[in-house]
Amino acid sequence: MEFLKLNIQLFAHHKGQGSTSNGRDSAGRRLGAKAADGEFVTAGSILYRQRGTKIYPGINVRRGNDDSLYTTVDGIVRFERLGRDKKQVSVYPVEEQK
Amino acid sequence: MINVRITKENAKYKKIDILGHAMYDDYGKDIVCSAASSIVTTTVNGILALDKDNLSYMISKEGLYITIKSTDKTTQILIKNMVSLLKELEINYPANIEVK
Repeated sequence: MEFLKLNIQLFAHHKGQGSTSNGRDSAGRRLGAKAADGEFVTAGSILYRQRGTKIYPGINVRRGNDDSLYTTVDGIVRFERLGRDKKQVSVYPVEEQK
Repeated sequence: MINVRITKENAKYKKIDILGHAMYDDYGKDIVCSAASSIVTTTVNGILALDKDNLSYMISKEGLYITIKSTDKTTQILIKNMVSLLKELEINYPANIEVK
């Protein structure tokens, strides 16, 4: 009978999986567009959820305290360029729409 | 938990099964497993050093199965010493090792 090889973890359970203190994440905030270009929206509707001003408020659109953009009138949504590298969103009442 | 099952015949140690896992800590840091492994390995190798036919063992995923073939005094004393050390370990770590 051979000598028993010394394995001082002979009665230890499966290979230790290192534990990590990571692995936590917050739920997604569902940011982004809530109305499409050319879509009819009613006053007060949220058009765009964002952090900061990815999109700027245009005509008949205002910015809420969480930076969300919402319309102040019923009308059609238009996403437009603003200057060289910025965008804005406007809402044009139906009779005025471009 | 490590389960140590002792079988005697005519007051002599006949079989000792050491099964299970200590579950005291992760692999590599499990001091209860380390103590039990060292106690058992020292005893088994000591008895084999006296006479290779004194006992036989088998290792499996579940643990270690020891069959004591010799009833001579020295072998029985070494096994008895191993059992008492494992019992002492059980006193200190009752949740991780049990000797029956």
